Amino acid sequence: MDVHALNNVTLALERGSFAAITGPSGSGKTTLLNLLGGLDRPDAGRIQIAGVEVTTTPADKLADFRLRHVGFVFQAFNLLPVLNVVENLEFTPALQGVSKVERRRRAQDLLKAVGLEEIGSKRPNELSGGQQQRVSVLRAIITEPELVLADEPTANLDSANASLLLDMMERLNREKGLTFIFSTHDPQVMERALRVVRLRDGAVIADDTQTHPAISVRA
Amino acid sequence: MLFFSMAWRNVWRNRRRSLLTVMAIGLGLAFNIFLRGVTDGWHDEMIDNSVRAEIGHIQIHRAGYHEEPSINKTLPDPPEVERAIRGLPNLLGYSFRVIGSGLASTAENSTGVEILGVDPAQERTVTTVQRVIVSGQYLSSGVGRPVLIGELLARRLKASLGDKLVLVVQAADGSMGAQLFRVTGIFRSGSPELDGGIVYILRSDAQDLFWLGDRVTEAVVLLRSAREVPGAVTALQRNLRRDDAEILPWWIVEPFIKQLIQLDDAFFYVIALIFFVVISIGILNTLMMSIFERTREFGVMMALGTKPGQIVRLVLEEAFGLGLVGLGVGCALGSAATLFFAKEGINLASVKAGAAVTGITSSVVYTELTQVNLIYSSIAVLVVVLVVALYPAARASRLKPIHAIRYV
Repeated sequence: MDVHALNNVTLALERGSFAAITGPSGSGKTTLLNLLGGLDRPDAGRIQIAGVEVTTTPADKLADFRLRHVGFVFQAFNLLPVLNVVENLEFTPALQGVSKVERRRRAQDLLKAVGLEEIGSKRPNELSGGQQQRVSVLRAIITEPELVLADEPTANLDSANASLLLDMMERLNREKGLTFIFSTHDPQVMERALRVVRLRDGAVIADDTQTHPAISVRA
Repeated sequence: MLFFSMAWRNVWRNRRRSLLTVMAIGLGLAFNIFLRGVTDGWHDEMIDNSVRAEIGHIQIHRAGYHEEPSINKTLPDPPEVERAIRGLPNLLGYSFRVIGSGLASTAENSTGVEILGVDPAQERTVTTVQRVIVSGQYLSSGVGRPVLIGELLARRLKASLGDKLVLVVQAADGSMGAQLFRVTGIFRSGSPELDGGIVYILRSDAQDLFWLGDRVTEAVVLLRSAREVPGAVTALQRNLRRDDAEILPWWIVEPFIKQLIQLDDAFFYVIALIFFVVISIGILNTLMMSIFERTREFGVMMALGTKPGQIVRLVLEEAFGLGLVGLGVGCALGSAATLFFAKEGINLASVKAGAAVTGITSSVVYTELTQVNLIYSSIAVLVVVLVVALYPAARASRLKPIHAIRYV
């Protein structure tokens, strides 16, 4: 018996969205985020992000697509343990070939913008969970991607830190116009999201109306 | 540079495991360097002993002499040969000899011998027989017809200093020649062949005995080092340009030594191969463990946009870092041990009898450290490390980020 992780999902999200994808376990939230991020391919359908046809991008080019167009925030923070905070932020610009001077400047500016400049030289194991997750958000946005995908970003945080994190992401969304899509169970996130898409058994059961599509997903 | 920093730091994440791997590489390499130093020193001693005992670095004869020695095959144009020899750089000495075979007899016994007719002053510059005289003196032209014999031969002939010894030969004109000599010296080289089979007489006496006039059989050349031989042979061939002369390096004259060296080298390479297999297993284990432990991290890196080729590069750089540190440890330890024994020597007294077969006559062998040895060993270690690292690197690069991110 075939199980469809996602079944006939059509979704269009505009640039600058601050959207939450929610639903019970097994509803397809993570699968949807993986498809949007080019970590997985649909069996049928199209995914287009800021004009890039993700579904037809060759497999060996997907890493490049992710590097240039997508930022990831993981549930388990997943900072690189041998790099300090500044170096973790420099990682994706380094992959893009940005000069050391420029990527150092960007990293330090971002840390300063969110009041975290004092932790720049610390390694991830010296940070609290909240600090690590905020740094991982900064890592996700330092290359100014079209899309930031956050998979359960507050799952390992207490409510105070979750709130701080959401404050930061809202600010970035507001000030820089970055698009955030969350996969979440967290009511705090759902409250703050400007749009909530509910999934059940791989299908969309509730959604806001899009105004002008910049990101379209059909899977 | 960021990747290289990551690679270097990743090497030391599990300090104990990395140190064990580094020590395995280092100790194995040190052993290899030292063993090579021992064999190089051993080989140099073998060559030096043979060269200095009798054969020299290069011998020049009439063409065909080496294949079929004969007293009639005398050296063509000795003055021209001498001129060519004196033009060699790094020349230590040379000697013109008469060589033949005959019967040595005393009142007690007789035996076949090789007869070397030499000019003592010239011969001193090439061979060291004058240093191993145990009784009497070296050949002297003021003592009638002196003969210098080996200790084993003296025992066989029951000859001692001052005794008469008759040499009977077939001369160059086919007639039988015989002359009476007086034993003026007995030597002990440590080589059974020399001590039991060779007699030294004055070259002029040998020319009389063999009815040669002023002809000689061979020219023998000693250079500063055995490593100069190939170049010197080429230079002599260029300067002499004679079809009627053969110019032979020591390994043609005495192939047994070369064959022993080649056998030794083969044995050394087997040991080296075992060493490389062992370090390969160690490195492979370390890298595979490291990759398993970092599966999720690789998944995150790939999700962020790291290409598979960059993952391969990262793992190879980690392996290179391990190899480099191991190499440093190995070179330092190996060099220190080799240099120590290059000065102090290794005492071979317990194996002296067996070593004598190979031409080693002294009880002490001095190790040798060469740049070539260090460089080749170092390159070999790094190449092995990188080759072994290819498999774990390829495995890491083929991880699917979607699964790797969730690896626990």
